[in-house]
Amino acid sequence: MQDWISLPLVGFPLISSLLLLVFVSNVSESMRNKLSDPIRMACLVFSLILLGITTGMFFQYFGDVSWEGIGFNQYEYSHRYTWIESLGIHWTVGLDALSFPMVWLTTFLLPVTIVATWNEKNGATYFPIVLAMGGALIGVFVALDLFMFYVFWELTLIPMFFLILMWGGADRKYASQKFFIYTFTASVVMLLGLVTLYFFQDPGNPLDYAGSMTGRSFDIPTITQHALAENSNGNWYLGANIQKVLFAMLMLGFLVKLPAVPFHTWLPDAHVQAPTGGSMLLAGVMLKMGAYGMFRLPISLFPHALEYFQLALMIIGMVSLVWGAIVCLGQTNLKKMVAYSSVSHMGVILIGIATMQPMGWAAALFMMFAHGIISPMLFAVCGAFKHHYHSMEIGAMRGMAKHSPWIATSMMFAWMASLGLPLLAGFVAEVMMLIALWYFIEANGWSVFWMVGPAIVLAVTAAYYLWSMQRTIFEGGDETQPPASLHGEPVPDLASPEKLAMLILAAFTILFGVMPWIGLDMMHDWTKQIFEGLILPILGDFNGGI
Amino acid sequence: MSNLTEIEPFSEGFVEAMGPELILFAGMLLLIIVPNLGQGTFRIPGTQVRLPWLLGGKRFEFTSDPRLPAWLATLTLGGAFFNVLYTFSQGLDRVAIVSESGKQLLLINGFSRIFELIFFGALALAAFSSMNRLRVNGVGSKISETELFNNRRQADFYILMVTCALGMSVVALAQDLFVLFIGLELASFSTYVLVAFLKESKVGVESGMKYFIVGSVASGVGLYGLSMLYLWAGSLQFDVLATAFATTSSTDMALPLIGIGFVLVGFGFKVSAAPFHFAAPDAYAGAISPVAGVLATASKAMGMIGLVRMLLIVAAPETGDGSAIWLVCLGVLAAVTMTWGNLAALGSDNPKRMLAYSSVAHAGYMLAALTAVGAWNWDAAVSGDAGAAAVAVMTAVIFHLLVLVAFKLGAFLVLSILESEGDVSRLSSLGGLAKREPLLAVSMFIFMISLAGVPPMAGFLSKLLVIMGIVRVAVGDMGAELADGGIYALGDMHWVWWLALLMVLNSAISMFYYLRVGVVMFFDEPEEGREGPLPSGWQVRAAIFACVLTTLIIGVAGDAVLRLCEMAAQSLNYDW
Repeated sequence: MQDWISLPLVGFPLISSLLLLVFVSNVSESMRNKLSDPIRMACLVFSLILLGITTGMFFQYFGDVSWEGIGFNQYEYSHRYTWIESLGIHWTVGLDALSFPMVWLTTFLLPVTIVATWNEKNGATYFPIVLAMGGALIGVFVALDLFMFYVFWELTLIPMFFLILMWGGADRKYASQKFFIYTFTASVVMLLGLVTLYFFQDPGNPLDYAGSMTGRSFDIPTITQHALAENSNGNWYLGANIQKVLFAMLMLGFLVKLPAVPFHTWLPDAHVQAPTGGSMLLAGVMLKMGAYGMFRLPISLFPHALEYFQLALMIIGMVSLVWGAIVCLGQTNLKKMVAYSSVSHMGVILIGIATMQPMGWAAALFMMFAHGIISPMLFAVCGAFKHHYHSMEIGAMRGMAKHSPWIATSMMFAWMASLGLPLLAGFVAEVMMLIALWYFIEANGWSVFWMVGPAIVLAVTAAYYLWSMQRTIFEGGDETQPPASLHGEPVPDLASPEKLAMLILAAFTILFGVMPWIGLDMMHDWTKQIFEGLILPILGDFNGGI
Repeated sequence: MSNLTEIEPFSEGFVEAMGPELILFAGMLLLIIVPNLGQGTFRIPGTQVRLPWLLGGKRFEFTSDPRLPAWLATLTLGGAFFNVLYTFSQGLDRVAIVSESGKQLLLINGFSRIFELIFFGALALAAFSSMNRLRVNGVGSKISETELFNNRRQADFYILMVTCALGMSVVALAQDLFVLFIGLELASFSTYVLVAFLKESKVGVESGMKYFIVGSVASGVGLYGLSMLYLWAGSLQFDVLATAFATTSSTDMALPLIGIGFVLVGFGFKVSAAPFHFAAPDAYAGAISPVAGVLATASKAMGMIGLVRMLLIVAAPETGDGSAIWLVCLGVLAAVTMTWGNLAALGSDNPKRMLAYSSVAHAGYMLAALTAVGAWNWDAAVSGDAGAAAVAVMTAVIFHLLVLVAFKLGAFLVLSILESEGDVSRLSSLGGLAKREPLLAVSMFIFMISLAGVPPMAGFLSKLLVIMGIVRVAVGDMGAELADGGIYALGDMHWVWWLALLMVLNSAISMFYYLRVGVVMFFDEPEEGREGPLPSGWQVRAAIFACVLTTLIIGVAGDAVLRLCEMAAQSLNYDW
């Protein structure tokens, strides 16, 4: 099969954006302003091409690929090229039911982000950086080589750093550095974990794709296969102690990225200061890199350690869920509230993972996907708010429903989707998580009080969302109170590109709420496979539901 | 591996073997003679006949061009660089230059040649890019672009660069303590003068004096150590010393150990390892930027050769079940050096001092790698894999020093452009660089994140290699034994693994100050008086972009360079 990933999905956006950036940095300032329009169009077209490719992949246009029933550690469209042979580094790409939804989501969000931030200043450099961000994110999800994975993992930091630093809010200098340093610190620890894992492989066994200098391999499928063969009931791959240490080191990198409490403090700063486009990609895809990484490496390789750390993960998940929601209640800044709601939703993912139930994992995967559509809409609304009202304060205006009906409607829709209204995408994931948690509690004899956290959070979430709507959209009745920051100018509403972006996001939120099986089937199949292949053999006495 | 050919000086084959050094020597003579060519005549005594003999008098137009020495030096160093590359492409012959009594003086092999690549590359780039930059009034002067030193002071500068290269290459080739010391001093004295070259500015003289005093004390201590080794073994030859070291029982080690400790001080100064690094920030801040770049790359590589020769050849790790005798000492030194360097860099607002401290930190990373080599026999069980592991670590060190030339020197070259319009002693002098010249700002950002070790830059690959080398030594054969049912815990790994952890944590700390440079360039407004376009000069820009391309290309596709370094590492010691 032709390689539809390496050049079309990863190389093309990265190279084209690099060329565009080199080009625009060599022209004069006035020329750069003139070039803004054509470059924006070019980036939109490029991102639509990417979306076309991934959509074509989904509809099996590029070959007979059955997304449902892909086994654990099986990859479609996979290709492998030698990269740095002496260290066993290969450019290995492939897609499975874990990575494909994320790749599609990235390519879906790219054009939507470009449309939603149509009038961003310095467009000639902004849009190529957004495109580069997309290429780097896709690279993370398609990489099947530890080295390549890490390279793209860190590469995503650079465009996001510049998006925040050059287009962000007043305090962007602090926020961009905090963002970079936080995630970099966590990922270098992860890197040491990866290198230690690399050298703990057995060089005596002839390894596939091993390096000529080291005799070990960075190849994820190979390592996963070895781990799968050696993990069994009572036998830990690499031994109990090492497995636990490596699991913790890898998880640190992913938990900070996710982010989970107590590693979440970079997120509100980054989000509040980031420009709308940056926030949309950050919340939509970049946070999911954490959850994706957990499934791809620590969970797939170290199921015993997952069981060992199950309680810890459950507690971290619960705390993230509850803490994020409660902090939301106290926010007066709209974007900060939305940022903390992301922390809360990432807690749902972590709880889903900690249940060690196929349904919980499917819930986590679907949450990654659904939150990837809903949270960009939340941030697009915040961006429109900021853009048109020059303020982020919740109490700054009243009666939005009257003076800006489009913003009010989009806000209401997005808020409802995020708090988990039935028939919208977020609901599916939350319900699945609750069922899986219940299964888990019942099967393992844990206290029912574990259900209290999610129950409180459902109420709190509804409270902060409804309360913020009440204070902005509805209050004021007929006497609207336009924000003071407008200084008496007429109250604007969404511009046409923003309307288009909102409509697209809303449409897909409804689509995946009404027909979740479009994505859910492949996710559930995959989690079932990984569960049967990986978790069942190590749990001697499993009696939960599947 | 090809066999060793032994030749005496000036006998057959000498010219081929010593190609790069002879090029340097010829270039040095040209640098002395050519700028002095003029209409000088010689009157035959007692007659009125004047014979033109071309030396002195009124200079010809082309010989009075102040750029001429720079071109000569660049061509000399570049020629030597490509000569080395050529010998690599021809398959390197191992050649030893022996004295009449059969003692090895110089050894030409992959290891020494690849270090010459580092020296000549760094010095050629520095010479090429300082072509338009050696101003009459030095640092901070505001003068026109064309106003350079007269060509005779220019010639001094570039002669010193070439002698520096010659001294460094002698260090790389030396197989004898005496030759080693000669080369070391030749290179050191050149750098002392180069640092103090801007005699008109206070800071130049001060830094030169500091560097000279501390440097000569370090050299003196090192020399004392060398003489103690001589006293103990009765020979200056590395192989004799190594044999003596291996056969001496550990109870009789006092004299050689003190000697090696003293030598460590001498070379520790060169690599700017803590606590011998105090002169480095002052020297870097006072020297003009290309010279500071040379100190941070070539001079450091030279010091590293000394350490490698002393620790891994003379005081080689025991071949039995013991680790090297200096292991703990060097491990502590590495930990202190990297942490101290990074913490000090956090607090420095002067970009050159910041780069100096970052250079200290990088020295710490390389010392950690050397520590890992020292641990290569820590357990008899791993000896099967250990030779390869030691080679891997040495490969990492060599690779790191090689690619460091690209991004460390590149960063200093960017500063040198700013330096020629004014003072660069504050970070804010980089302000608004992205608006003034975007490509330069992007280059500087690439150098910074490469220094910090962010992929896909070469600095990431080199740091990864060092970490991989350390972890490999720490893990040893445990992977194979796990497969046979062995059970291990974290504590079963050798303690050098914790050095790797300290290293990644230090990378995280270093991110603060590297990123700050990027933030200043892309976020802040230019300083007052710096709003206009930057000083022109295509040479320095060409050198910078060459560095950027090297950083990116080696970072993405470093396999060929990696194999070259592996070959060099293997040739260091044939026992491996």
